[in-house]
Amino acid sequence: MATASSSLTTSSMFTFPPTYSFPPFFSPQPNAQTRSAQLSKWSSLVQSYCRHHRIFKLLLSDALESPLFHNSKLMRRLSAHDAKAVVDYMTSKEGGNRAEWIGPATEKASAWIWWRRPEEWAGVLEAWVDGTGQKGTVLTLYELVEGEATENQEFHGMDMEVLRKSLGTLVKKGKAQVFGGEGQEGVKFF
Amino acid sequence: MFFKQIDLTTALRPSLISGEELLFVQDGVGLYEGKYKIPHCQQGYAYLTSLRVCYVDEKEPRKNSVALDLREVEKTDYQAGFLKSSPKITFHPKLPRDGHQLVRLADGRIAVEGGSSSFPVSRANSPRRYSSFPPPLPPSNATWICPICSFSNPVPSKFDPSNANASIPLPQCLACGIKPPLAVVLKAAVAAASKRILPQHTDEEFSGNATSTTDDPVQTETTITCPRCTFHNHVSLPACEICGAPLRSEQQHYPMVNGGSKPRRAESPGPQLAELNLDDNAELASVKISFRAGGDKTFHDRLKGAMTQRKWLLQSAPSIPSPLSPSTTRDLDNETGLARTPITRPASTPVGIAGLERRGLEMRKNNEVVIGTAFEDLEALMASAKDIVALAERFAIDSGRNAAETSLVFSESAAALGMVTTKDKLDSGSDNLYLSELSRNLAEYLTDDRTGVLRAEGGVMSLVDLWAVFNRSRNGVELVSPLDFHKAADLWGRLNLPVRLRRFKSGLLVVQRSDWNDDKTVQQLKAWLRQLQQIAPAEEVHWEWSIFGRGVSAQETAQRFGWSVGVAIEELEMAEDKGVLCREEGIEGLKFWSNFLVEDGSDAE
Repeated sequence: MATASSSLTTSSMFTFPPTYSFPPFFSPQPNAQTRSAQLSKWSSLVQSYCRHHRIFKLLLSDALESPLFHNSKLMRRLSAHDAKAVVDYMTSKEGGNRAEWIGPATEKASAWIWWRRPEEWAGVLEAWVDGTGQKGTVLTLYELVEGEATENQEFHGMDMEVLRKSLGTLVKKGKAQVFGGEGQEGVKFF
Repeated sequence: MFFKQIDLTTALRPSLISGEELLFVQDGVGLYEGKYKIPHCQQGYAYLTSLRVCYVDEKEPRKNSVALDLREVEKTDYQAGFLKSSPKITFHPKLPRDGHQLVRLADGRIAVEGGSSSFPVSRANSPRRYSSFPPPLPPSNATWICPICSFSNPVPSKFDPSNANASIPLPQCLACGIKPPLAVVLKAAVAAASKRILPQHTDEEFSGNATSTTDDPVQTETTITCPRCTFHNHVSLPACEICGAPLRSEQQHYPMVNGGSKPRRAESPGPQLAELNLDDNAELASVKISFRAGGDKTFHDRLKGAMTQRKWLLQSAPSIPSPLSPSTTRDLDNETGLARTPITRPASTPVGIAGLERRGLEMRKNNEVVIGTAFEDLEALMASAKDIVALAERFAIDSGRNAAETSLVFSESAAALGMVTTKDKLDSGSDNLYLSELSRNLAEYLTDDRTGVLRAEGGVMSLVDLWAVFNRSRNGVELVSPLDFHKAADLWGRLNLPVRLRRFKSGLLVVQRSDWNDDKTVQQLKAWLRQLQQIAPAEEVHWEWSIFGRGVSAQETAQRFGWSVGVAIEELEMAEDKGVLCREEGIEGLKFWSNFLVEDGSDAE
């Protein structure tokens, strides 16, 4: 048994919100007002679920079988179509841009779940660099996410792709510089 | 006497007494008393029933609706329309029982002619008789001749020749309806005024030894001094020429032909009366119904039929005596005579099973006799119609016991209602009238407490269901076409009836009390769902039923509120649309829940 996966599930049980056991939660609501309330509840559930399990990239086909979209106790599940609608809602402005589809728009098989948006991650990274006085030093990306120094940090074990995206926002602002080739990138904070 | 105030049903139709039957309805009619229009009774519906003629006002039906009993009608006259004058039917009242005859004088007044006593003397000595028959028309002697049709019309008593001008509205000719030129009326009024002293003298002669009320000194003068400005006015003027002050009491002003001491009705404002007087004392000479929207011919035909049939005799007639028990004391006004006969038997009532059997036997024999005699000839059938109908109804009930209870109730109610509008009862030409009558009919049927059709259906009923039930209640005859039915239902709102037609989003049409609305339905649903939070579901469920309650299907809802399933679905979707409910589409079908998705935002993190 992989230690990584066991640490994910056993860390502590995720507590679902009460609506999770409300059967109509799993049916699309025709009333616009109810529908938007339902979607925002789904959005916050997906975010907190992903944060708890540190999921950055949600593969819909897997998620549909996971407790997230399938309440086995209640014997209710979200259909693939409705799950897509939920993620769609999350990607929209209305849903706070809390997700982003990966790959072509027609496919919609997996998505980034921004329980913390790249800009927000950038802020966290910056604060950490600031706090530890590492401005001007060069850090490798691997060091950032897997290094011993960051073990207690939220971004420890972060998806590389997400890290690159968040560093990208810092680069744009001129607060960092990324260099090096594939797999051996380094970053320097200013 | 002649006109009576009447009760109206919820649908603003005259409520019929038992045994009364609706024969004909016509809209656009007005009432006349003698030659004069009765105010506030000029635009309404005329209902002809087997016992009455009812007038129901269109604007203020609760206030201005009257009826006259056909039994009090001596005869009716039909007067065809002429130029602008609408066709009219005149009803002449019957005499009191003492055998006096009404004599219509040339000028339209009515006098009573005694049986044997000589004319003027008996008259003066018995004031009672004319107090019960006062002349109906204001005795304005002035008449003007219509230049068009040369009909003699009365000059309105308000008409004052001294200050008449072109702006004064003149009454139309009663025959042809054309307004006369002012000059004609003026001339007539002046001519009449100059002649007016004459009848006063004859009046005094007539009243002779009776206590004279006419020895007022003013009477003999040729001028009247105005009490306000002291101007000497001509004796015939009702108001002062200078200041307009009223000059004298109408008794002096209007000479009475019979010399009766009873004060006359207040001055008549032209061809329209001041108000409709329903007093016993205010007896009317004759009453006219003017048919401004046609229908007069059919009305008259049916009226003639009703007058010949004399259904009112049937009403008070005792049912045929029971041949088995001639000594039986029976109520004369018995309504359920057949059933009661054996029970009211005075002596030696057998008890026990033998008694019951005997009773049954007697009843069967009695029924046999009733049926036997009834069919012997047509006359007998007519005479015993009441019994036969009662019998037939009982048979129908007995045989219908096995059938669904509802159909029994409905067939009963239709008979009890007795006021079923059919096209036959209306002129074929007036489709609108048929629809409005049907509409009222339906409203009555729905709100009738005896059947409680609407109540039984939980206050909401789909139009299609209503159509089916209503037609079934007509026992398969005189069915209403769906189109007419729909149109009639559409009219509810316009006629201000206590029911309304409601269209759901899906297009489903339902019938509802007009004071019922969506909010009330929503409250009902909410209360019910809240109630479900207290009750543990029958099967074990995996959600917090004490918080969420449970989902309800349309079927459950329909059962709970007595709605039809179609209505239940619509009501649930309406509530969902308002955000009160939300849906769950599961393997068990569509269920509706209290909307906890919107109601609490507590678990949003």
